[in-house]
Amino acid sequence: MESVTKLAAVARIKWICISRNTMIMLGPILTVALVYGCKLLYGQKTGGELSPPLMAMLLCLGISTNICGDGFVMVGTAIAEEKEKHTLRVLMTSSVTGWQYFIGSIALPFLLTNVVNVLVLFVSGISFEQVNLPAFLLVGAAASLISCVIGMIVGICAKNQMNANLIAYPFMMVFMMIPMFGNLSKTLQQISGFLFTGVMVEMTNCFANNTPYTIKPLDAAVLVGELAVSILAFLVLYKRNGYEKD
Amino acid sequence: MEQNALLQLSHISKRYKTQLALKDISMTLRKGEILGFLGPSGAGKTTTIKIITGQLRPTSGEAKILGTDSSNMDASIYEKIGVVSDNSGIYEKMTVWQNLSCFAKIWRVSNARIEEVLRQVGMSDYKKQPAGKLSKGQKQRLVLARAVLHKPRILFLDEPTSGLDPSTAIAIHKMLLDLRQEGMAVFLTTHNMEEAEKLCDHVSLLYQGTIVEDGSPQEICLKYNKRKRYHLLLNGSSEEIVLEQTPENAVKISEWMQKDMIQRLHSCEPTLESVFLQVTGAPLVSL
Ligand SMILES: Nc1ncnc2c1ncn2[C@@H]1O[C@H](COP(=O)(O)OP(=O)(O)OP(=O)(O)O)[C@@H](O)[C@H]1O
Ligand SMILES: [Mg+2]
Repeated sequence: MESVTKLAAVARIKWICISRNTMIMLGPILTVALVYGCKLLYGQKTGGELSPPLMAMLLCLGISTNICGDGFVMVGTAIAEEKEKHTLRVLMTSSVTGWQYFIGSIALPFLLTNVVNVLVLFVSGISFEQVNLPAFLLVGAAASLISCVIGMIVGICAKNQMNANLIAYPFMMVFMMIPMFGNLSKTLQQISGFLFTGVMVEMTNCFANNTPYTIKPLDAAVLVGELAVSILAFLVLYKRNGYEKD
Repeated sequence: MEQNALLQLSHISKRYKTQLALKDISMTLRKGEILGFLGPSGAGKTTTIKIITGQLRPTSGEAKILGTDSSNMDASIYEKIGVVSDNSGIYEKMTVWQNLSCFAKIWRVSNARIEEVLRQVGMSDYKKQPAGKLSKGQKQRLVLARAVLHKPRILFLDEPTSGLDPSTAIAIHKMLLDLRQEGMAVFLTTHNMEEAEKLCDHVSLLYQGTIVEDGSPQEICLKYNKRKRYHLLLNGSSEEIVLEQTPENAVKISEWMQKDMIQRLHSCEPTLESVFLQVTGAPLVSL
């Protein structure tokens, strides 16, 4: 019970910090705006009518930028901001434990990326007959959780906000670009199958082709495996120096 | 651990990569005591506080805080201490009130208590002000208010008044004395010897990672008061003369006094500053 109140207190602090950091909040807003903008642009010739594959492409673009562009960055930058302003130390000497800080830090970004995923689903205009909604929510939730944990890794390594963006960049490139350009080469496609974002893109491809989508064992293994690996990587880094090195 | 001791360091040393920052530090802090760590920049004051509060591991030695080894402090210990470090941050995008209420939630402290500490630090009128817009002294008072919000048993302060104007510093001193009255123990670092003389029940002079002298400020000063001297300014003269305590000088002074020739007369027992200079050969504030 006690730890729940502390967790809630951390989540509240994070929420105030994140929601008032324009640099962070711009991400989710731009993601939705991007999808909406593209939809208007593509729809100009046809008077607003988009083909189902195009809508699925928009959906894919939206959730990819959301998971890769917003998730890591939101969590990582918020921690970096606390280091920059010397408030992380204060929290860590105030009886908040490492794992309370962990959960408190990812709670709201996790929620927000999920909300944006659903928003993007609506904005893309894709027909719900093409979408396996439970699978979409489940895969989306798993992907945003992994993204948030990677954000914690970014945060633990970053010294300041600029630095956090720099560290997040390679993660973003790998997890966003490889699945997106997967149809260009056989190798990329194969690698993509082993990335959590690849699983996500694969799912939207199914929606586009209007083939029934189910989560395959390999997909589930990739999602669970990558979540475990990212948590493990976080723990290794945390054990070494805590959240902040001296 | 000794009875009554809230904090006990024994033979702490700390080596950074190339440098031995602390060498064999031992000391004890008891209930209701203000202990000052006095030393010039780079002496190892911040390093000591970081070790005691579990932010840094000592290279050797043992620090016991409230009966627990400082290298495995848990939430229950952190709930009983307050820390003001040399760069304690505040959430600049929150108001003064929000800054405190976040921590009030963590420590399960009532809103009435927030009001009370705000009053104590004279910040009641700034409740709704964004913390980022406070002046330096106001920020420091907010940091202090936060550190005592949960009525900790030990308060750690790393140079709490450095860079503050005298009136804010005095307000903070008064608050610390009040807190001691309530039984809180305070561990304070400073390089301001007047502050140490005024506040501390016990001071340790730290120099290059070693405690070179410790005791109450008075004890220390008297211990070094070997050659008593007097500074005098005589009527019609602009030059001060210094006389040592000798029978001849005593007669001289009493003659001048009878003839009402003395404009000013000071005994000059050593201050912590001069003791420090004497013990280490280095001034306390080395700029
Ligand atoms: N993280 C670190 N890595 C290496 N050396 C360090 C580190 N932190 C402190 N030192 C060194 O240890 C010594 C003691 O530093 P410390 O910060 O404890 O001094 P201080 O007494 O607090 O000084 P000040 O009054 O300037 O705050 C200094 O010589 C400093 O250079
Ligand atoms: Mg210091």
